Amino acid sequence: MSTQAETLNSFLSFRLDDELFAANVGKVLEILEIPKITKVPRSPEYMRGVVNLRGNVLPVIDTRTKFGLPPTSDTVNSCILVLSIASAGKNITLGAVVDAVQEVMEIDNSAIQAVPSMGTRYKSEFIDGMVKLNDQFIMLLNLDLVFTSEEVFVLEEAAGSKN
Amino acid sequence: MTEKLLDIFLGEAQELIVEIEKAVLLLEQNQQDEHGISAIFRAMHTLKGSSGMFGFEAVSGITHHLESIYQDIRDGARAMDANVLAITLKTLDHLRNLMQDPHLGDAGVRANHEQLLTAILSLEDAHTSHHTANNTAPASANTAQQRSYYIYILPHPAILRNGTNILYLVDDLLALGEGTALPFFHQIPELAAIAPDTSYMGFEVVLATTKKEEDIQEVFMFVESDCDITIKSLADGNILSAIGKHEQIQNRDVAAALGYEGIKALAAHPKKKISKADKARSAGINNAASIRVSSERLDDLMNLVSELVTTQARLSLFSGENDSTELSNISENIEKITRRLRDNAFTMSLVPLESIVVRFQRLVSDLSKELHKDIEFTAVGMDTKIDKSIIEKLTDPLLHILRNSIDHGIENPEERKRRNKSPKGKLQLRSYYSGGNVIIEIADDGAGIDLTKVKEKAIAKGLIDGHAALSEKELTDLIFLPGFSTASVITGVSGRGVGMDVVRRNVSDIRGEIDIATRAGEGTTFIIKLPLTLSILDGLLVKIGDTDFILPLTSVAKCYEVKTAALESSFNQLIQLDEKRLPFFFLRNDFAITDHKPELSQVILVSYDGQQVGLVFDRIEGEYQAVLKPLGEFYQRQNEFSGATILGNGNVALVLDPNKLIGKLIDHYKNQQRYEYAG
Repeated sequence: MSTQAETLNSFLSFRLDDELFAANVGKVLEILEIPKITKVPRSPEYMRGVVNLRGNVLPVIDTRTKFGLPPTSDTVNSCILVLSIASAGKNITLGAVVDAVQEVMEIDNSAIQAVPSMGTRYKSEFIDGMVKLNDQFIMLLNLDLVFTSEEVFVLEEAAGSKN
Repeated sequence: MTEKLLDIFLGEAQELIVEIEKAVLLLEQNQQDEHGISAIFRAMHTLKGSSGMFGFEAVSGITHHLESIYQDIRDGARAMDANVLAITLKTLDHLRNLMQDPHLGDAGVRANHEQLLTAILSLEDAHTSHHTANNTAPASANTAQQRSYYIYILPHPAILRNGTNILYLVDDLLALGEGTALPFFHQIPELAAIAPDTSYMGFEVVLATTKKEEDIQEVFMFVESDCDITIKSLADGNILSAIGKHEQIQNRDVAAALGYEGIKALAAHPKKKISKADKARSAGINNAASIRVSSERLDDLMNLVSELVTTQARLSLFSGENDSTELSNISENIEKITRRLRDNAFTMSLVPLESIVVRFQRLVSDLSKELHKDIEFTAVGMDTKIDKSIIEKLTDPLLHILRNSIDHGIENPEERKRRNKSPKGKLQLRSYYSGGNVIIEIADDGAGIDLTKVKEKAIAKGLIDGHAALSEKELTDLIFLPGFSTASVITGVSGRGVGMDVVRRNVSDIRGEIDIATRAGEGTTFIIKLPLTLSILDGLLVKIGDTDFILPLTSVAKCYEVKTAALESSFNQLIQLDEKRLPFFFLRNDFAITDHKPELSQVILVSYDGQQVGLVFDRIEGEYQAVLKPLGEFYQRQNEFSGATILGNGNVALVLDPNKLIGKLIDHYKNQQRYEYAG
């Protein structure tokens, strides 16, 4: 677990489909409206493309596809979380498209529950823990791992192998 | 108008005339004295202005025309010559008379005036640049017709044997315009070893001409295959006067060519040229000729220049959308300045290859002792400059190639004697500019690569099919395959079969290409072609649907407009262009782009592996200077895109690497076929 996650207990929650996730705010640099995205041909499907972030090129990941959720078109609520993640000793900046950003909340360590090994469609190493809020579970993501790994969700059927 | 003022004017005019006279006399000693030319120009300008003010129209008229000639000379658009000086002196005498008789009352003065005026006008007209009446017109207006070219001619050693006289070539070239030929000697042996029928020399010609590049090329029509020829445009207008007396030209080392960049640099810094007059002056301040700057600050400068280039692109886009002449003038000017600033800043971050040569010399001497070989190592053209980040990544591959040449290439002394070669092996590292590229060659006079051995080995290792019919080039390229080594004895130096594939990868990482030329028994040359810099690229902006792409201009050969339907219906991926059938890739399909299909598509020919291949785009937008930004780790596998760039409108364009793209597409289609056959 990263040092920031230990020191900061503020989380930004966001929605994908009807599931709620949260990312440690220490990892979130900013939130963008979705600008024109340039698709890079012949790249994996979960790569939405690249955008111009004030003169720099920012790769953007389609988080829904990455998480194995059905694709939808962007809405007014869709936005890009600009994240700074650690990969092989380096910090890389990337954008992640999410359906909607909810709120920033303080989560006490004691409120974080362990992830049940069964019953989630995500590999357990990607989830640091779960929090129950208003009868809904929010999954706290390990962003470093989620966005640097090829396969995030457990493929129930072997279909969907795309290149 | 008071008498007093008129007196002041007449006094001043006398002084100016004397000043001009002095400068003209000095110029007769040294026609290239830039200070003299500027002094005359300034004095004439003042004289023209004040005489106009005092109604001395004859004076201002004649000085105006003479001034135009000097302006051209000062701007490098024409060369100074004795004619100009002679007529200037005559005019000065005439001006003295005019001061007494400003309205040409005297018939003799009038006749003289007419005569001089026609002489000056004909001088002005004789020169291609026809100056407009308005002396503040920008220099570019009158120099547009003339261009200066850099021409590099290196005849192959055997050229004299078919009766070609190289000097005639140079004469033919100079007949196209005004020029200067700078000979250099190439690998000249000792006197005793000189073969009279072998050419050891080459020429660099700086030519100012109104002719087109094709006309220059035509001169070489019959010797194209016998010479290495590079023709490059140096600048608009005539830059001969700027480089003519340049110190570096006069004291240059004739053993090596100055190179396009070398000449260009001289032309760009005419201030550095030293005339007799200011030689003494500059002697004292010579020490300040260079300063040290930390590379961090250079990087900062580079980043700022990159941002400026991007912002400038926005400006020209904006000015294109807003129909304002003034705005577009400003924008064009800024574009010119930005381009120059960019070139200037980038040459600053270039480092001569010399900085790494010492390591090579050390390697060669150590290795040749270890392997009991006698090797003479020479390095030529090490003042060739290249981006420092490229140099860092170049050292390892070069070391590896040198190791290979010493280990596998050059035979041991006994073997060499048996083959009637001098026991001393020759190994040369040479470098030169070729267009926007730097070429580095490592040549040995060793055994060469035994292609039959290569083939046997490749078959034994299962790298190729035993029945495969491979061309010589394909055979030599096998050495670059992973896990290939031909040394019969594995030494500690090289020959473990790791290496050449890594070398090729390293070189292609810095956008370079590597090639081998080999002859059994005569030696092997490795040729590495590198870009000058990695961070900026001159490209062609093209579109498919809504997506922008940049193709490096260096790889674009030709563009054609073709009906989209004709491309789509082609079943064998071949298209007939200029009576040639060429393979093409309909990138719309390969990139899975479906929006806005146009009726006409653009086929852009790029060269791939020695042949031309068409890439099909929707539209060509124009040239574009792309500041390369990395795509990052997420797109590592999409290395057919060497990066991205931000366009003026804020969109991101993808920079294509045509070689990698075509290679990948060919692999893709091959695999597809295999599946089809299997299925």
